Amino acid sequence: MEKHKITLEPDPVIEAYKKDVDRTLIRENLKLTVEQRIEDLMRLQQFAEELQRAGRQAKPRR
Amino acid sequence: MTNFPELIRLFSSSGVEFIIIGGMAATAHGSARLTKDLDLVYRRTPENIARLVAALAPYSPYLRGAPPGLPFRWDETTIQRGLNFTLVTSLGALDLLGEVTGGGSYDDLLIDVVRLQLFGVECLCLGLERLIYVKRAAGRPKDFEAIAELEAILEERQRG
Repeated sequence: MEKHKITLEPDPVIEAYKKDVDRTLIRENLKLTVEQRIEDLMRLQQFAEELQRAGRQAKPRR
Repeated sequence: MTNFPELIRLFSSSGVEFIIIGGMAATAHGSARLTKDLDLVYRRTPENIARLVAALAPYSPYLRGAPPGLPFRWDETTIQRGLNFTLVTSLGALDLLGEVTGGGSYDDLLIDVVRLQLFGVECLCLGLERLIYVKRAAGRPKDFEAIAELEAILEERQRG
């Protein structure tokens, strides 16, 4: 439905950040369907939660 | 973990008028960044608020980060009196926004949405350009990386 054009003038701060964007990840994501992108996100969420749980339970090595 | 498919199906099947924004909208457009909550702009008509309240009531909505035991009531009066709600529910973290900076209300945003067929239902998602515009308008330093990625997505799309 995007009916009208939004003009986004380049912002120097954002342009600086843009240099570090990994475009290979974007290109891979753009090959997926929207549902696949959201399913990937949920898998990543699950993994992040598992890492956080493991981090909380981690004991310092003696 | 936020159950994005269930939340979207729940609101769609209940006739709630909403627009997906924020990190989930970014994911839909191709972002590889992790987001943990679902941000929705809901239409603030009495009918839609009634549908929203009825749909979410079985999932124990409560103010996210608030101490337990506050006299928070999930009802139409609460939604009418407030505007934006950051909630935790049994389906995960959910932000319900009556308005967004740089975007306005549901009706203001309608001109810049895309229709998505998602998990068996049709729903509205904020268009990429408007999503960038809204994130820029929020002016939060924590969003700079996300905005940069969204603008890179826009460039990649335009390159075809």
